[in-house]
Formats: sequence, structure tokens, C-alpha cells
Amino acid sequence: MTRRALIIEDNPDIRRLLEATLTRQGFEATSAGAGYPALESARRITPDLITLDLGLPDLDGLEVCRTLRVFSNAYILVVTARAAEADRLEALERGADDVLAKPFSPRELQARVEALFRRPRAASVPESELQTAARVQQGLLPERAPNVPGYEVAGACHPSRSVGGDFFDWESDGSSLAFTLADAMGKGMGAALVAATARAVLRPGRLEQGPGALVGAAARALEPDLLRLGSFVTLLHTRLDASTGDFTYVDAGHGLGLLIHPDGMWERLTTSGPPIGLLQGAEWTAHDSRLEPGGALLALSDGLLEAFPRVDEALNAAVAAVLEAPDADSAVRAIIDLDSTGQDDTTAIVVRRSRSGAGVASG
Amino acid sequence: MKFAVEERDGYTEVAAEGRLNMVSAPMLRSAVADAIGAGHRLLVLNLGGTDFMDSSGLGALVGCLKAARQAGGDLRIANVGEQVQMVLKLTSMDRILTPYSNPEDAFRDA
Repeated sequence: MTRRALIIEDNPDIRRLLEATLTRQGFEATSAGAGYPALESARRITPDLITLDLGLPDLDGLEVCRTLRVFSNAYILVVTARAAEADRLEALERGADDVLAKPFSPRELQARVEALFRRPRAASVPESELQTAARVQQGLLPERAPNVPGYEVAGACHPSRSVGGDFFDWESDGSSLAFTLADAMGKGMGAALVAATARAVLRPGRLEQGPGALVGAAARALEPDLLRLGSFVTLLHTRLDASTGDFTYVDAGHGLGLLIHPDGMWERLTTSGPPIGLLQGAEWTAHDSRLEPGGALLALSDGLLEAFPRVDEALNAAVAAVLEAPDADSAVRAIIDLDSTGQDDTTAIVVRRSRSGAGVASG
Repeated sequence: MKFAVEERDGYTEVAAEGRLNMVSAPMLRSAVADAIGAGHRLLVLNLGGTDFMDSSGLGALVGCLKAARQAGGDLRIANVGEQVQMVLKLTSMDRILTPYSNPEDAFRDA
């Protein structure tokens, strides 16, 4: 099997030298000149070896090293001009396997690489387990939208890694619709475990109970664990009466729920209190509003914000996507596509009420 | 992320420089824990050099606040950039962690 190498180096001359040296050694070499593209490549090509320069234009090389270690089991060889003892020690502490000082001799590089590959590697996170976790997490998302006459409902969740802390969920009996969008702190497996726990406690009785009671009970169940773990969950939970469009919601430190009016004007939903698990004994106030025919409700996760310089720009773009899309499904797809960075989990739910008479109170 | 701890008149300033994310959040927690362990009680976190904070970073901020209060002290934040303020506002944590415009003002009322 061909061994794959990822070269992270911003100096083009040194990059070419590394490419040539490692290619001669039988590696299939890929290069990145900065930290963010390097992390993206590392996820995509799952290299066996990574050479890492510490002086990168966008991210600190030591931070890149530690982030790589979260998901990659590659041998990391730091090749740096910053090779004072303190830097070498810090690199090794952050998960590097070896440090080579610049300027380096290509022969020494090759010898160090061969030495690394002689050491057996204990897999820290077997890839197959991560893949299983990703499949299970996808399986915990709703398979299809509920059928609510007079409404279109759609949602999607794109984790930045194999698994993530975002999720959405919904349930309807045709006359009531309950839906939740939540975001557990952090990224990756830890966030995914917290998200799965939160999802479970937010389900029972969500069509019968109001959001205030439901979120209050869920928070009481989650709080001791979250406080202990130093984690938290933000969420928007809504219950809508399909016949009138009246809805009640709780926004627990989430801040990204929008009500779009039939004329295209929009407003942010009001906060109900802090995220769940950050402050002991917190309480949440439910709020009421109404979704008019021709209007839409939109819930987002904060992953979208990273693709825009300002919150309002992100929200305007998301609203425009909802207004321009022919249906809720394509609206959700358009919103997910707005996040080109893929740095964070991105999730969206769109609930559109049709303009026609369907869904309007008959009595 | 880099930290600098300096004793000022009536408080201890912890300056945090870099991106406050999943990678650096534990570093902030331990930098503040060290300062508390060294006997500092009134802490001002100078976020002038923190241009980005994610949810893990927010978790660390609140964790530091709790640690300071548990030790009988307090922690306030100053010199807070736009993106960090946005995260605090979205999560309504600006009510608990009120941003002060500069470190000298943070404990003026104390």
C-alpha cells in the first residue's frame, strides 16, 4: 500500500524540497501552505506521515499539531526553525513524534521518517469506530419531515467532523408540531455524546407539554452531568399549533431562531435564558408568537456565523435563501451551502406556512 | 494561545492572546487555575488579543468565573472584541460576564 504524506509548510522552496525527498522515499505527497487547508487535507487524505512547520501564516503550528492529534493517527514530524528546547518539548507534548531543525539534510529527514515507521503504532481512535459513531449519529436525525397540512418542514445537519454536537429533531400528530435544534459545546465525539443525551431527554411528551415545562424538565435531568463535565447545550425548542400558527418557544442561550413575516421582514426570537448546564439552577421563560400564512420559522446553528463577518449578514443570507427557495427542502440545502468554511457543525430547520387557506383555523 | 499574568493595582490581569477554541480552552482554564492557586482572587481577563471564541471557549470563560468565585474572588472580562461579544450576546451570557471596556474599570466598583 502506498504511504501518504501531508507536507504543511508555507515556504515554497522548502515545500518542494520536502515533496521531492518524500516522493523519492515512496510517499504519495500532498502539500498545504497554511493551517486551515492543512487540517482539511488531513481529514480528507488520512495521511500516514505529516511534516509540520510551526511558523504558519494563519494558525499557530503547535495548535495545528494538537488539533491533528484529535482525529489523526499519522506520524507527525515537526520541521522547524523554531527548534529551541522549549519549542521542541512543547511540540512533543502536543502530539508530535519527532522534531527536526531547519535547515535540515534530506538524508537525515529520510532516516528520521524510516525510524518513525519502525515503531508500531497503537491506534488511538480506530477509524472504524468513528465511522460507526457517525452512522449512528446520522441515524438519530429524523428520517423524513412530518406531514403537517398547510406547512412545509425541512431540516439538515452537517457536522464539521465525522460526528458533532449539533442535532435537530421533530414530531407531529398533524395538528401540533414540536421541533428542536440544539448545539452541544465543542466538536467531535465528546460533543456528540452530550448531544445524544440531550436529544433523549427532550423527546418524551413534547406534543402534550409546553416548551417551558419540557425544557425545564430536560434541563433538570441534564444539569448535574453538564456541570460536572464542564459542558453545556444551547437550544431552541418550539411547539406550534398548526391550525392557528400560534407557537410557543424556549430559547436557551441559542439566539439563532428567526420569524420571517409574509412580507419578507424578519425578527429574532427572544432569549429565554442561558444555555443549559452553564449556570446552576437557571430558569427559562417560554415566549409566544404567531407564524402567519406565507411566513416561515427558521432555526440555525452557529456554524453558519463563521462564514460571515457579522451576525446580521449571516442571518440576512439565511433569510434570503428561505425567501428565494421554491420549497423548504431547497431552502435548507441553500442555507447549509452558505457555510463554505466547514469549520463548525452547521444545522438548519425551516418551517414554512403556505399562503393559501390550508392550515387556517376552520372554526 | 498565549497568556500573560500581571499583578496590577487591586487586581490581577490575565491577558489571553490567540483563538479561544477547543484546543486552547483547557489552557485558559489552567492559566486561571494557576493564578488562583498562586493566591490571586480578583482577576481581569484581558481579551484584547482574543479575536475568536467558540463554544468551548465560552465554556472555559464560565469555568474560570466559577473557579474564581469558588475561591472567594471574582473574574471580569475587559477589552472584548466584536466576535467574542457576539457569542456572549447570542448565549445571553453577557448578563453574567459583562464586558468592561478596559481592565482598570473592571473592579472600580469593588
